[in-house]
Amino acid sequence: MSKPFSLTRRAMLAGAAALLATAGRSRAGQSGPRVATLDWALIETLLAIGANVVAGTELRQFRQVAVAPEVPGTVADLGLRGTPNFEVLRFARPDLIFNSNFYAWADPLMSRIAPVESHSVYVPGQSPYQLAEKATLAIGERLQLASARSLVDELSERLDRYRRELADGNDRPILPINLGDARHYRVFGSDSMFGEVLARLGLSNAWTGTTSYSAMAPVGIETLATMPDAWIVLIPPHPEDAFRALTEGAFWKALPAVREGRVLTIGSVNPYGALPAAGRFADFLAEGLSSARNR
Amino acid sequence: MPETVSLSAGNRGSRTGVVPIVVLGLACVLSFALLLVYRPGVPGDPATAAALDDLLFWNSLLPRAAIALISGAALGLAGALLQRVLRNPIADASTLGIASGAELALTLGLSFSPLLIGASRELLAFGGGLAALLVVLVLSWRRGLDPVTVALSGMIVSLIAGSLSVTTILARGEYAMSIHIWGAGSLSQQDWSGVLSLAPRLVLGFAAALFLSRPLTVLALDDASAKSLGVALQTVRFAILLLAVWLSASVTATVGIIGFLGLAAPTFARLCGARTTSQVMLAAPLAGGAILLLADCLTQLLGSGFSDFVPAGVATALLGGPLLLFLLPRVHGFSAVTVEAGAGIRRLGEPGRMLILLAFLLVVFLGIALVFGRNDTGWNIATGALLSDLLPFRLPRILVAMGAGAMLGAAGLIMQRVTGNPLASPEVLGISSGSGAGLTLALLFLGFPSSLLMIASMAFGALAAFGIMMVVAARSGLSAERLLLAGIAVGAFSMAIVSIVLAQGDMRSYTLLTWLSGSTSRAGTFEAWTALISLAVLVAPLFLMTRWLSILPLGSGLSRSVGLRIMPSRLVLAVLAALMTAIASFLVGPLSLTGLIAPHLARLIGFHRPAHQLPATLLIGAGVLVLADWLSRVVIYPYQVPVGLFAALIGGPYLLWLLTRREQP
Repeated sequence: MSKPFSLTRRAMLAGAAALLATAGRSRAGQSGPRVATLDWALIETLLAIGANVVAGTELRQFRQVAVAPEVPGTVADLGLRGTPNFEVLRFARPDLIFNSNFYAWADPLMSRIAPVESHSVYVPGQSPYQLAEKATLAIGERLQLASARSLVDELSERLDRYRRELADGNDRPILPINLGDARHYRVFGSDSMFGEVLARLGLSNAWTGTTSYSAMAPVGIETLATMPDAWIVLIPPHPEDAFRALTEGAFWKALPAVREGRVLTIGSVNPYGALPAAGRFADFLAEGLSSARNR
Repeated sequence: MPETVSLSAGNRGSRTGVVPIVVLGLACVLSFALLLVYRPGVPGDPATAAALDDLLFWNSLLPRAAIALISGAALGLAGALLQRVLRNPIADASTLGIASGAELALTLGLSFSPLLIGASRELLAFGGGLAALLVVLVLSWRRGLDPVTVALSGMIVSLIAGSLSVTTILARGEYAMSIHIWGAGSLSQQDWSGVLSLAPRLVLGFAAALFLSRPLTVLALDDASAKSLGVALQTVRFAILLLAVWLSASVTATVGIIGFLGLAAPTFARLCGARTTSQVMLAAPLAGGAILLLADCLTQLLGSGFSDFVPAGVATALLGGPLLLFLLPRVHGFSAVTVEAGAGIRRLGEPGRMLILLAFLLVVFLGIALVFGRNDTGWNIATGALLSDLLPFRLPRILVAMGAGAMLGAAGLIMQRVTGNPLASPEVLGISSGSGAGLTLALLFLGFPSSLLMIASMAFGALAAFGIMMVVAARSGLSAERLLLAGIAVGAFSMAIVSIVLAQGDMRSYTLLTWLSGSTSRAGTFEAWTALISLAVLVAPLFLMTRWLSILPLGSGLSRSVGLRIMPSRLVLAVLAALMTAIASFLVGPLSLTGLIAPHLARLIGFHRPAHQLPATLLIGAGVLVLADWLSRVVIYPYQVPVGLFAALIGGPYLLWLLTRREQP
């Protein structure tokens, strides 16, 4: 995204101008308004469409959980999502701040730094995929980045392609889960981003029970036996010892899904992400399922 | 010295003991039978379903029942051992901080090295539990392991360990939540490995307990008689303590924290007529196993489908508060837990001048907090345009810290004066936890309440907690130790309510976790005005009541004789203190311990008359929290330590130091 040899006069001036501020934070070579956000779904959207992101929350954790898109080292870390450091935000000198319903309490404080715009992806009773599309397009329009439209269109085409590829397979339901410990998991329902992607891939979600904010936790591992037909999709990050203890256990080995090789461990995906997370999940799933069928 | 563990519960003869045994046994059998009948079935084609149903029955339902029995028995045994060896009827893994210590060690282990924990989970838990217990014992050693001192130290150690765990969880994001939320005492099993690892430990522990039962009987006497009977006193004591910690840490490492079962089981055993040491050693594990099995069957029956209603460990924690209250009459402290209230180190000749100095210091702190800060390149002094830019973020949190600190100080002063107990404070008396229970109920029934509703519900919780505590304490004549124990009981019950929502693991638990850790970084205009207005409204009337504050501690007889109507004045003061606690707890979380430290510091400096101690306490409380808030902002920049935790790390050791000071002759 950032071009080489781009320590321009503008960037140098910006650095000099902000003696007390975090001069190094101004991303050399990036153009467009400097944007910041507290929300993980929005930061991955902003990074994916190539916005000039100057600050985000809990970036150490974000790099481990969401993995992609990559966060440039020049983005300022605002600290924990629950207790963001607004002084760092001020020093990052954003021109525009994007926020979501989940951090609405911070609006009055942040609006003293820069104008705040809210785009929510996770609203009870609404489709997170549609909201993510809407938010991506609105942000793209606001920042005048055409890449937003292409992100939406490309992902929708990609999901259609996967849908056709997977259509000829058997229609077993999918159970997207995240291990908590060796005896409990968190399951994502049809109202979650993962559930939404499953629907768009023409797959059904094996979890038909209730959810609270798109997921249900903690659910005992023994419930896996009640969904014998399903593919079990394990979504990291999970505690490594829990994964080992579980998969070495007799109960796990006796499950029909395990005996018939219907378990898929994919890469880490942010369960409360936006379109990039949806695309990442779809890629992992399509690749895993088709390679399993070709075995 | 009288025998401190009262064994009089079953003195109406063992016939009465049969009824509770039969009732508990029947309840266990009945609920397990209901579970067998009503357990959810496996869908799909009949052959597979039957096979899986078998799998669930043999590998989940049965081991789960077995682990409930075994964990319950181990905790019951550990509780009975601890109570006997410490001669303390309210000793148990929860009240002594063993469980919280083990949990903290596990949380830290998981944060630093996710892989290491797989091999040495139990060792970590054991180390953490033992460390917590040792801290508690060292602190109460000088008071001869007096039950009330032990319980208080245990509570403080639990508080601090618990808040460190919460902070670690928040600092790590969702990942480490597994310990707190996933492992909150859920008994669900998928194979027999948990049973196979715990069962031999229980057998070993039981054998060791039987082996030690003669020395244990002797230990129930006082030290002198035990020594004269030739028991290697300290060695035996330490061996039994190690055994108890090992048993409870093994359970914590396998299934998480099962609250207060070590308290419930021996109590039940005594209700059933167990009196001698060996009777209790035999009956307590049986009772523990039965109670936990019953609790676990009920949570499964009440839950929908395969999901439990609440983890069994949280369900048993609800027993803790009522049980402690029930046990109150049996606890006899053998050295009064009072830090002499009247006699001070010195008296100030000119309190007015000292007050001006304190006010000046507060202004200096405010100035430092306002101007000094950090950014990426290091320290900076904000002036001019930069300061006016940063002001919207710094000023509210400084004002919030100041207001909350002053209110907590005033609330602590009132509580100490009204109860005549120098250890009373919003945190120690469970009022802060009570406000947390109020917040929890609001979250449960209203979803996401507005800030005003949150404050209202917290005030309701604080008032209810204070009310319950005053009623309970009044029945025992407001004796110092009863009051503290009643406070611990109310606090334990309130925290169990908080844990229920915490264990749901959804967005509401995140709200509660944030509140628990006590952070000011969210403070904005609303919070700042809340702090200032409530400070003005609630503290101003206090200056008109300083006469009450000086008369009430002298006792009801004297107070009446000088024409003070006791009940109304107490009530007004209690309501004011509860409201100040609730609002401060909304602003900075439940555990800053400022309410305890501020009045003490004021007295140590030499303010004695309430007319002087009140303003001094307000200034000191404000200063302490402003300083703590500033430190919390700069120590691990850009991440922030919650201010409540930071202040508690200062206040906790201070309280413990107060407890361990020798009484002056």
